[in-house]
Amino acid sequence: MLEFVLMIIIILSAILALIQKDLLKAAILTGFSGGALAVLFQVLLAPDVALTQAIVGAAIVPVFIALAVKKTQREDS
Amino acid sequence: MNELIPLMVIVPLMAALLISAFSKFNKATKVFAFVVALCLPVIPIASHYGLHYFGGYAPVMDNVTNVMYHPAITYSFTFLQQIFIAMLGLLTFLVVFIYLTKYKKVSGPYLFLLFLGTAAVTAMLLTDDIFHMFVFFEILALAQVGIVAASSIDYSYEMALKYMVLGSIGSPMMLLGIGFLLALTGSVNVTDIAAAVHNGLVDATSPVFLLSLGLIFFGWLYASGLPPFHTIKSGIYSKAEPHGAALLQSFTVVSMISIVLIMFRIYSSLPIFEVLVVFFSILAMILGVSLALTQTDFRRMIGFLAVGELGFIGLGIGLGTQYAITAGLFQALNEIIITALLFIGFGAIVNATDEVDTRKLGGLLAYHPKVSIMLLIAGLAMAGVPPLSGFQSKLMLVQASLNCGFPEISILAIMVSIATFVVFVKTYYTMFLKPKPNELELEKKEVPRTMIFAMGVLLIIVILLGVFPDIVTAGISNFVGGIL
Amino acid sequence: MAQTQLAILFTSAALVVIGLYSAIFIDNIIKKIIGISFIEEGANLFIVAIGYKPGGVVPILMPGMDTSWFATNAAYPLPFGLVLTSIVIGASTLAVMLALVMVLYRRYGTLSTSVMLADTSKQEEYDE
Repeated sequence: MLEFVLMIIIILSAILALIQKDLLKAAILTGFSGGALAVLFQVLLAPDVALTQAIVGAAIVPVFIALAVKKTQREDS
Repeated sequence: MNELIPLMVIVPLMAALLISAFSKFNKATKVFAFVVALCLPVIPIASHYGLHYFGGYAPVMDNVTNVMYHPAITYSFTFLQQIFIAMLGLLTFLVVFIYLTKYKKVSGPYLFLLFLGTAAVTAMLLTDDIFHMFVFFEILALAQVGIVAASSIDYSYEMALKYMVLGSIGSPMMLLGIGFLLALTGSVNVTDIAAAVHNGLVDATSPVFLLSLGLIFFGWLYASGLPPFHTIKSGIYSKAEPHGAALLQSFTVVSMISIVLIMFRIYSSLPIFEVLVVFFSILAMILGVSLALTQTDFRRMIGFLAVGELGFIGLGIGLGTQYAITAGLFQALNEIIITALLFIGFGAIVNATDEVDTRKLGGLLAYHPKVSIMLLIAGLAMAGVPPLSGFQSKLMLVQASLNCGFPEISILAIMVSIATFVVFVKTYYTMFLKPKPNELELEKKEVPRTMIFAMGVLLIIVILLGVFPDIVTAGISNFVGGIL
Repeated sequence: MAQTQLAILFTSAALVVIGLYSAIFIDNIIKKIIGISFIEEGANLFIVAIGYKPGGVVPILMPGMDTSWFATNAAYPLPFGLVLTSIVIGASTLAVMLALVMVLYRRYGTLSTSVMLADTSKQEEYDE
């Protein structure tokens, strides 16, 4: 059951990230999607991939995007 | 001496890392970069042919199904790899040499990118593992973007970002295609996949197999700059520094042939594969030449001509006979040399005049006679004029398409060659022979001597291959016989 | 359990389609880049799904496990190894793209691709 919930979280947060007006919120939602994907990898019997994805997808990528947003502009005009 | 095979990738890779780490020692960096660049063409020539298994895991025989499996990443080194890696190493050496003498203070990151790109294409050419190839395909894309972004030409960042965005769409597509192949065969080794396809373990008509062809083909189109990516490819050539562009086009050609050879080994049983390759090649030939005709920026013109020449390579491989593939690969080797020569030569002109618009130039023959003569010979070689190397490979291509029963394609190839000739001569006339426009002010700026040296070395190879094509074609033909 | 695998394939396809849509049609460059990262995630999820075995075990041989039981029940580890590499490549590509965006923002003051990456036609006007 857990995997279906995770899949719904992944797709929903991906869509929500792309329709946000605030780019910082989009960055955080990208992190949600990446983190849920990491848990899904664990469910799919790949713990090593899950660890990497948890670090890269849930921490590094959103932080990079947030930094880029901070250096540029926050509103999607 | 099979230990030398992985060194061809490791030496430039380690050199790249060391240079970028210790780039504050200017003098030492220069000497080190020069020595490493000098080693690059020597290693493949000194090495013996053979296979290298990483980790020493030799292939194992499955006694039940009687199939060989390759558990390790395998590098296979034959005559084809030797000649291409040696040529690439020579070109890298010349480009690094030009760069080192041009600037007093060298930039470590730029040398890092040059060596990284060389290492990436070398690995793509050597590897027998499709995922390994994908990894270096991505590294190559990053290195190319870096080389473009590092140049001081206007709009280079925009072009780099555009190339990168397109590449980030193209490379996951290729990864998906590799995923489909992995799902079908359970392996990423090309020899294993090809054996599975040819032994009928994989249904060659299944939609999944066709889809994997389509996805990898899309990645190949991006990597080689065939249409619909021809505009962006010629754009990045014109936005890089001239010596960087000379290296970038060789990266394009080598990555193109390495991916297409892998695709050929896997998909050659599908007739649609050859049709697709020939279709996109002909499109590239026609679009490349006709767009080159309309350009006023001569760097852009050379970029489009280079894309048009790529079509000839694809044509040879798409025809699929031993003679045709040999011709295509020989054309690839010639194109690396000739286009590098053109980029370096026109780069020397940019260096001396600070002007890239052909309409504002003229009468340069009197000012830079050596450069103009060498450029003329290179342009004639590209168009396929007899004693030069371009003629030999194009003649082989025309004969191959006649032998395959496609006289239309050979007529088209001849027409595109003539159009290339026209484009080149038109540009050459306006730049070198036409009287000098009054508003053009030429200071007495010398062309750097290293550029003339590099052009001379490349020109000797062009003439040598034109007079004695057999020294290369015999070996390539043997290699092609092995993969058919 | 085939249901799970089907759902995973559907999820990865959805991620790829969402990513492609945003990479092609959305004007904001940062959202384009977010979309590109979704395409990469979709491809990774697909490759992990190839190695997944319903009802299997994690492919790590613990002491005391029966080898033949392990061989029939463990998931296929090769795709997992590939995905590890591809995740890291995706992150580095994203970092380079964001760095280029930051440089270009300083020049143009906007994140809109139609202004920032306007076609080369604009450049020719600039030349003349």
